[in-house]
Formats: sequence, structure tokens, C-alpha cells
Amino acid sequence: MEKKYTIPIGPVHVGLKEPITAWLDLEGEKIVGATVRPGAIHRGIEFMARDRNPIQVIYLSERICGICSFAHVIAFLRAVEDASDYPVPIRAQYIRALVLELERLHSHILWAGVACYSIGFDSAFHLGMVLREKVMDVLEALSGNRVNYGVATVGGVRWDITPEVGKAVREMVKFYRAEFGVFYDVVTADHIAKARMRNVGVLTAEEAVRYNAVGPTARASGIRCDIREMSPYEAYADFNVKAIVPQDYYGKAYGDVFDRFLVRVLEVQQSLNIVERIMEGLPEGDIVHEKNLNKVLATLKKAEGTGLGIIEAPRGDDTHVVHLKAGDENVNWWKVRAPTYANAVSWPLMFRNNELADAPLIINSIDPCISCMERMLVTDTASGGRKVVTRAELLEMSREKTRRLMQK
Amino acid sequence: MTFPVNGINREEGREPEEVLARIREVFGESAVARVRPHADGLKKEVQYYDLWLSVQKERFLEMVDTLAEFDFPMFHVMSGNDDGDVVTLNYHFGIFQCAGRGKRFGATISVPVPKSDLVIPSLFSRIPGVEYSEREMREMLGIEFDGLPNKALIFLPEDWDEAVKPWRRDETGPKPENVRELS
Repeated sequence: MEKKYTIPIGPVHVGLKEPITAWLDLEGEKIVGATVRPGAIHRGIEFMARDRNPIQVIYLSERICGICSFAHVIAFLRAVEDASDYPVPIRAQYIRALVLELERLHSHILWAGVACYSIGFDSAFHLGMVLREKVMDVLEALSGNRVNYGVATVGGVRWDITPEVGKAVREMVKFYRAEFGVFYDVVTADHIAKARMRNVGVLTAEEAVRYNAVGPTARASGIRCDIREMSPYEAYADFNVKAIVPQDYYGKAYGDVFDRFLVRVLEVQQSLNIVERIMEGLPEGDIVHEKNLNKVLATLKKAEGTGLGIIEAPRGDDTHVVHLKAGDENVNWWKVRAPTYANAVSWPLMFRNNELADAPLIINSIDPCISCMERMLVTDTASGGRKVVTRAELLEMSREKTRRLMQK
Repeated sequence: MTFPVNGINREEGREPEEVLARIREVFGESAVARVRPHADGLKKEVQYYDLWLSVQKERFLEMVDTLAEFDFPMFHVMSGNDDGDVVTLNYHFGIFQCAGRGKRFGATISVPVPKSDLVIPSLFSRIPGVEYSEREMREMLGIEFDGLPNKALIFLPEDWDEAVKPWRRDETGPKPENVRELS
């Protein structure tokens, strides 16, 4: 028998976009076991929210993640609106759905590019990055921002779709219809790309259910789950969105990295269709129920109850739970469950019997968003000689060193 | 025990009333706290329901098993709060997750866990996907999950003083002087 080694991938690793540690048990090149340890990027966001009112928490929730920022905002807002029975005008529902789809577009294209990068297919990676710029430009035209859009608020949205933005969106759809097919062809026709992804990091349908995989990870395993179809919310109530599963297109779901790639690429096409339908059917009317934020806060202060917001983010269903207490203007408590939180549980299963060189690709295949998954407070635990150093302390230590050098 | 996964990808779901009737039959009227319809879109028709259920700790597993008679309960997350004498845990499930358009409904089970005995049976053997949530609730609120195999810290740093439970509001919670850099 070969000697067994345990090797850490992370917390910082060239193949990972964010810090997380996977301890892999290896026999030769083969992975026989894995332990995942998150926790390197916990910031205490849920704790922070206890000192903030719901309007302030919108902007906090937007900063949970740099990619699916809008999905977190909508999940949070739906939880607040559920707890306080707050109405959302129909035009606002359509604009919310539009921005959610634009976000899915840029998230999926980014992932598809990064997956190519993980296997060393750099030309496809660059092609993906070039394609992604178009949707980023549209988001910038709509909101003025490329990452945290600041579009949604309690009971509606803050920015309307002007004729210019509408034109930019239509042009974008036309652009992707013409250009995105090239990316799909380049990757799927490449035998090496297929060899690196097919039958790698397999998650069976039964495991996907029992381990609660969500979003494209679960759909790649053949599970027909998509919150936009199962529990339609906002404007999705008017569109018949169907979950995309590989067996409908290729006859069989392997549940491997290649299927996760295919599902996301097909969902780009699906998002384009939805964006087109939203632009065709955009209803007239108000974009927000109440513009005066003081009035909104006064209404929310009277509300009492727990609200649940579950939406389909690019990586899977994003769940927010909010509790509002009557008479208390701040959020009483808040729980965020980003899709990665659910999908990361399946990592050890996906690693089984794969090679060490595939580990970064498998980690990336669920499109992990580690900072989404982890939210916590930083406190000082000086016991035992080790301690967590805060940013302010680090800054002070650095300045102190400069002062020391200047004295010499 | 493990739940069978045969409910997944079923063509048709069942109405929430059917599930509610079964819950009321087994656990009584008081087990159903709220039924929340969600209506969106142009026609403002009801698209899906969220059921809010509550149960005492002793019958918690029985309630999960009752839900599982209908479909494999898709576990979303667990939320919780320190409510004085009890720590309330809310288990958020989705039922009929794959049963067709608009068929899914949310089911939340709230369980008050008295602070005198902060132990609740783990769902790990039934739904292995609960692992991260149970570990999170263990380190943040100090709940012990009976039957959870891996009780290591998950999000807190390795040198964390485990006597401090970050989400508690009593003497075990973080002191004001512990909390810094929250802006």
C-alpha cells in the first residue's frame, strides 16, 4: 500500500479565488478523503446588522458578495417585505428581475471563464472576460456602478429603466446572441477541455438531494430544482421559467464538472430570453411604493415578525431570514444562507477518487463564494498567546515601525 | 435512519392543505402558527406558500418525519435567536422542490430549546446536508446537537474562546469591549 499523505489546498492558493482550506488525504495522486475548513474570511455581517435599521442593512447585504450582490439584496428585501407585509409595485418587480438576470449573466460568464483558467485554457478565459464586459457596461448604464448597484430598496427600486438603458439592454441581448456561441463552441469542441472536466468531481443525483446541493450544482446532477420555477417570485410569476438539466439536452446527467459547465452556459441563453421578455412586457407605473425613507422606516418600526426570502441566485437558492421587533428600529436578527454554504457540504464527496491536480477545478466547479458563506464578528481572544489582529491594530503596528525607523 | 429520496423529481406535488391537515392531525391545531401565501406578477395570483410550524423539542424529530412522508425535505438553513429563557431554532425546509411549476412550498419548524438543557437531536443521519448549519448554531448559540459526528468549529477561528457564544444575548454572549471594528 502506498503511504498516505495529507496536503492542504489553501487557505491561499493560486487556483482559488478566495480563502478556504481543503485538507486532502492522498494515496499517490489519488484523493481518498477530504476535510474542508472555512472560516478565514468571516466578517460578522449578521452581527453588525443588529445595530442597523433595514435601510442600512440593504447596503450591508450588498457587500456580502462582489458577484451576486444584488441577489443578496433582493433575498434580504423579500424577507423584510414578508415580515412587514410591504407591497412592491409591478414595474419594480420587473426591474428587480431584470437586474437579477443581468447579474446571472455576468456571474455565469465569469465562472465559465475562470473554469477554463483553472485548467490552463487561457485563451478561452480571456474570451469569456471580454464577453462579460458587455453586461457590466449595461449594469453601469443602469445604476452607475459595475459591482454593487444600489438599485433596490424596501418596497421597490431606486432607478428606472430609461429609454437609453432599454436600448443598451436590447443591444446587449443582440450582441450575446451573435457572440456567445463562439465561446460555447471553443470549449465544448476542445477534447482536452472535455477530458479535464468529464467524469471529474462527480456528485450523483441522490447525493445532491441528501446533501442539499443547490442551483447549477444540483441541476448538473439532474435535479430539476430552480426557485424561479418552483416558487415564482417578483416578475418570474409571469414567465414560465424551466429548470435547465443536462438530461433534457444531452440525454444524461453525469453530475460532473463538465455538466456544471454546460448548465451554466445554457442558463446564459435562458437569461437572455428572460431579459428579452422583461423588456417586451415592462409594465408602466411607480417604481417604489413609498419614496420617503423616514415613512418607510416608521412603517417597518411597527412591524413584528419573521420573514423569509428565498430566491434563485446565480449559484443556487439564496435564503435570508429576518426578524423585526415592533418598537425596535433595527433589525432584531438576520440569517444569511448563501448558496455556497449549501454546496460546500458536498465538496468531500466530489473529491473522492479524483487526482490532486483536479482539486482546484473541483473546488471552483460549484462557483464558490467564500465571503458569501462566512459572516461573523472579529473579537479579541488573547488567551493562549495567539490572537486575532484587527485591521486598526495592524495599521498601528505598521506606523509604529515607521516611527521607530525615523528615530534611528 | 435515512429518508428515501424517491420523492425527488416527482411529476406532481400535493397541495399545502393536505400537508397542513396531516400536521394538525398529528400535532394539533397549535402546531400551525402561520400560513403565508405569496402573490406576485401582473395577475397578483398566489404563486407559493410558506408554512410556519412550531413544535416542542421532544416531538421535533417526529415532525420532520411527518414532513418526510410527503417528500424529502430540502433543507435550506437553520436560523436562531436567544429569546431569554429559551434559544429558538428555526429549521427552514422546502417541500416538493422538484415537483413542477409553483408546487414547492416553504416549511419552517420553530423549536424552543430551554437554556437549562441546550441539547436537541441532530438531523445529520436523516439529512447530511445540515452539517454546516448545526456546526454553526453550535458555535454561535451554544446548542449541542446529539448525533452530530463533527463538532469542530466551522466559521470561528481556531484560537476562539469557546465560552463566548457570539449570537447569544446573555452572559455567554460577546461583551461590548470584545466588539471592535464593526464599521
